[in-house]
Amino acid sequence: MSVRHFGKPVVRNEDRRLLTGEALFVDDVHLDGMLHAAFLRSDHAHARVLEIDVSGARAHEGVAAVFTAEDLGDYWQPGPLLVSPPPIERLEFHQATQVPLARDKIRHVGEPIAVVVARTRYEAEDAVALIDVDLEPLDAVVDVEGALVENAPRIHEHLSSNLAAHVIQEKGDYQAVRDRATLLLSRRFLYDRGVSASMETRGVVADWSAKSGELTVWDTTQAPIPIRNGLAGMLGLSESQVRVIAPFVGGGFGPKIMMFYPEEVLIPWIAMRLGQPVKWIEDRQESFFATTQERGQVHDAEIALDENGRILGVHDVFLHDTGAYDPYGLTVPINSQCTLLGPYRVPNYYSEFRVVFTNKPIVSPVRGAGRQHGVFVMERLLDLAARELGMDCSEIRRRNYLSPDDFPHDHEIIYQDFAPLVYDSGDYLPALDKAAAMIGYDTFITDEQPRLRAEGRHVGVGIVSYVEGTGIGPYEGARVSVERNGRVHVATGVGTQGQGHFTSFAQIVAEQLGVEVEDVEVVTGDTGKFHWGTGTFASRGAVVAGNACRAAAAAVRGKVLKLAAQLLDVAEGDLELTGGAVRLMTDPARTLSFGALAIQANPLRGAVKPGMEPGLEATAYFGPERGSTASGVHAMILEVDPETAMVEIRRYVVVHDCGKVINPTIVEGQILGGVAHGIGNAFYEQLAFDANGQLLNASFMDYLVPTATEVPRVESDHVETPSPFNPLGIKGVGEAGAIPTGALFAQALEDALDLPGLEIVEIPLSPNRLFELIREAGTSSGGKRSRDNVE
Amino acid sequence: MEIESEFVFDGPRDTVWRLLHDPAVLAKALPGTRRFERTSEDQYEGEMEVSVGPVTAASFSVKIELTDKVSSERFTMLVDGRGNAGFTKGAARVQLLDHELDRTLMRYRAELQVGGRIAAVGQRLLDSVGKSMTRQGLEAINHHLQGREPPRRALIPRPAALALGAILLLLLLLAVLL
Amino acid sequence: MRVDERHSIRVTVNGDAFERSIEPRMLLSDFLRHELELTGTHVGCEHGVCGACTVLLNGQSVRSCLVFAVQTDGEEITTVEGLTPGIGVGGGAGDEPELHPLQAAFRDAHALQCGFCTPGVLLSLIPFLEENPHPNERDIREALSGNLCRCTGYQNIVDAVKLAAERIHR
Repeated sequence: MSVRHFGKPVVRNEDRRLLTGEALFVDDVHLDGMLHAAFLRSDHAHARVLEIDVSGARAHEGVAAVFTAEDLGDYWQPGPLLVSPPPIERLEFHQATQVPLARDKIRHVGEPIAVVVARTRYEAEDAVALIDVDLEPLDAVVDVEGALVENAPRIHEHLSSNLAAHVIQEKGDYQAVRDRATLLLSRRFLYDRGVSASMETRGVVADWSAKSGELTVWDTTQAPIPIRNGLAGMLGLSESQVRVIAPFVGGGFGPKIMMFYPEEVLIPWIAMRLGQPVKWIEDRQESFFATTQERGQVHDAEIALDENGRILGVHDVFLHDTGAYDPYGLTVPINSQCTLLGPYRVPNYYSEFRVVFTNKPIVSPVRGAGRQHGVFVMERLLDLAARELGMDCSEIRRRNYLSPDDFPHDHEIIYQDFAPLVYDSGDYLPALDKAAAMIGYDTFITDEQPRLRAEGRHVGVGIVSYVEGTGIGPYEGARVSVERNGRVHVATGVGTQGQGHFTSFAQIVAEQLGVEVEDVEVVTGDTGKFHWGTGTFASRGAVVAGNACRAAAAAVRGKVLKLAAQLLDVAEGDLELTGGAVRLMTDPARTLSFGALAIQANPLRGAVKPGMEPGLEATAYFGPERGSTASGVHAMILEVDPETAMVEIRRYVVVHDCGKVINPTIVEGQILGGVAHGIGNAFYEQLAFDANGQLLNASFMDYLVPTATEVPRVESDHVETPSPFNPLGIKGVGEAGAIPTGALFAQALEDALDLPGLEIVEIPLSPNRLFELIREAGTSSGGKRSRDNVE
Repeated sequence: MEIESEFVFDGPRDTVWRLLHDPAVLAKALPGTRRFERTSEDQYEGEMEVSVGPVTAASFSVKIELTDKVSSERFTMLVDGRGNAGFTKGAARVQLLDHELDRTLMRYRAELQVGGRIAAVGQRLLDSVGKSMTRQGLEAINHHLQGREPPRRALIPRPAALALGAILLLLLLLAVLL
Repeated sequence: MRVDERHSIRVTVNGDAFERSIEPRMLLSDFLRHELELTGTHVGCEHGVCGACTVLLNGQSVRSCLVFAVQTDGEEITTVEGLTPGIGVGGGAGDEPELHPLQAAFRDAHALQCGFCTPGVLLSLIPFLEENPHPNERDIREALSGNLCRCTGYQNIVDAVKLAAERIHR
């Protein structure tokens, strides 16, 4: 048996390049004669375009071209609908996708109006300042609820209202169980917007070679293959004429998905038109308007429970803010709708949502992609119900978990991948027990908290659960080949933005072929190397592309064995692959190196026999029928100063289940990063829009991404329920850390503050907002809560 | 955004009133004024340019209309300013009252809609720096009233939004001064 | 100073002398990246908050997006490329230059994911480690608080600094 690589904490193959500054990011691409683009963007959230005068900009020194919507001719088209609505009965959906440059109307601050191309970015920006635009401001739709009132300003003229979609999904009969519930609890929950804030902003470089008839595009995308295919269609080229490269990408977190952003669509067109390479790099301020954002939602939810705290049903009606356009369809609100059910048995569920257009930047998936909203609603309902029932917060969860016998579990509604929401596997109780033990949940409540309270300190504990649908289809592919130098080359289509694919895919392949991980070179995100697949999103990279790598490597293994058996004149079953060579198990001296085999497999004379293929290479695909459901429990102990509302997280524990683990170091890294992102979402980051749709904190000075002093040390551990839906048994982990953090903060803060009137039903909080809530709840801390009433 | 404050001028109401309507005086109180003129009885137009160190000059144009005018007592001013760093639109009400020792108390209240880059990254400057600079502008006029030249003040560069802050201040000054 | 005037500057970057004629408004970050093609220095926010563009100016950490290139006339600059002299030359396995101890610790402690913020983090922490050979967690977090990282949650960066400190002073 060769050395095992799968499941080991292998150091990453890609790190050397990243650490030494050698890794190529899009802004590092430098081409001869390259021009630079800058965009004129709207200062208004809602306005009619009356006149655009670009003559001053065109005349400016160094300017090669200026384009407005009018100059685009037939190329001016609304963007594609990226995800069509799932097949849900009675579903209503109104499509309105973004345009490359505003023509008649502006629908959010920062919407591009014109693009200047010049010798340098400095000159391009100088020229942008010389464009005169006459806009007639219109009243803006900012508030989600205000969007649907009668006489609200209409954002899209072709629609009869600002309603983008209306969806109802139902299971069982909620109204019927409502009548026999012991406890009915209803609340309104708010969850506001944030940005993904990847440290690298977006960027595009395009280079058209008229001689070869090939367009090369470097793009900070999470999905280079769909971008290639889409661009080819728009530009009237064959797919094979377009090569899209997503080199090293400085963080994705969702918004770098295949959005066909205006800049992504325009820069290649301009490069072709001018016959010169063109670069556009988003600046940080643009990023706050021009890159898609997280989602605002307002939920009116009710839970019905029996006398034992068992869930009879949940009723949830919510509004989802999609911003000015809805190119990403219903993925985000459907994630909220489905993920609300969590790890619980919910026999009756009624969920209805309306998606509304507002004069704000577009909403598309950001790490968690709406799942945290569902989790927030459900976890909060359970916490508040536990309070009513005098039950401990962990106990009410315990009583409602699905048990291992319940899998596969069909929730009888449709998920974002169009398949029924069926959980593949899970075992939730051990994760809860483990997290509770790690944080010392019981002794905290019985000993520590009373002691600290007696000292006048406000310290509280929280413990919450979540599930995450991951690893959805349709498919990914990989090509694995053994090179003449004995190294193994892997090409796959998914882009990579820091998830360690260069290493985890190498581990999967190394395991199959008996080579060292550093001898496996992985290429991702270059359509010139592999052009079948979709992309990295929805926590699917490792699951879907990982299994494709396994399949391709297994096929190469077959070829290696077959050829070596022939050459050594032995049976395949007598051979083993180890140390980059094939050897006879009974006589290890009889060995053939991979390099020698690769040369033999590609002969210069003789004939390749019918039915044989040259080379030690194979391509394979994997398409999971359904996604795999990861899960986890987060717990925290925090201290809050009620005078200042400043919060300090004292302990943070994560127990997660992502099935089989390829590389525990990488998995833990994903969790740690997700938690930091979640802490930002919960307590520091919020986009502040005024009543006119102006974003008031479009910089890192005012929009607070957590720093090393806000993010605590996270202790993590895992439980493992392999997924039966894929051969590696893995589940996705990319978004997990960020999903339950808001709910956890709310529970722990309520526990720490112990104010009878204090209920946290909104996220994000901030020290300011928490201060207001504390003040509203009154300063009396007389009514002691029933946390210690553990049944 | 809203600004509400008051200021005491060292002179009688009718003199203050006259100064507040003299484009030449106002232009001096507004740093970076390239052009500022009365286009009709109650309308003014101006162009401003601000350059801070090596940062490219940012320019904007402003149109102002006075309404609701009662000589030496009050007026309302409608402001429409736009430039490459953003825009402002709104109304300011200014009231002049007799004050002890033959001085004049000016009360002003402006409601402004601010948009674009100014709003996006200048938000924190809007309140603090904006108010203090408004005061500096008013003091400049007061110096004029006292027959002295206004002291020259250097704009101290801040870490970000240098030109932006300055433009913002100008808009605020315009809003409350005219 | 007019923007269209060009100024000639001489700087020493990673030990090599360069002379260039540039616009006075050109930022040091753009100068390094686009004039000298030292693209290891990354630009994350252009307003001095994220720290991705941190370089050493005469041995001190500075944010190259807040410095005009003309201000560095006659000065010495170190970028991430300067931490491993010889990088990018030749190629092939076996002859790769040795990583700086902090770089090696970053690799071993999984202190980077997308790696975009990493060069700036390294150049903020190297002078810190020189001044604080045995830092505790609190000191490290303080020193790191001027650098934003969206991927790692900082924990592994803190651990990498501890690891590097141990290895350097062992």
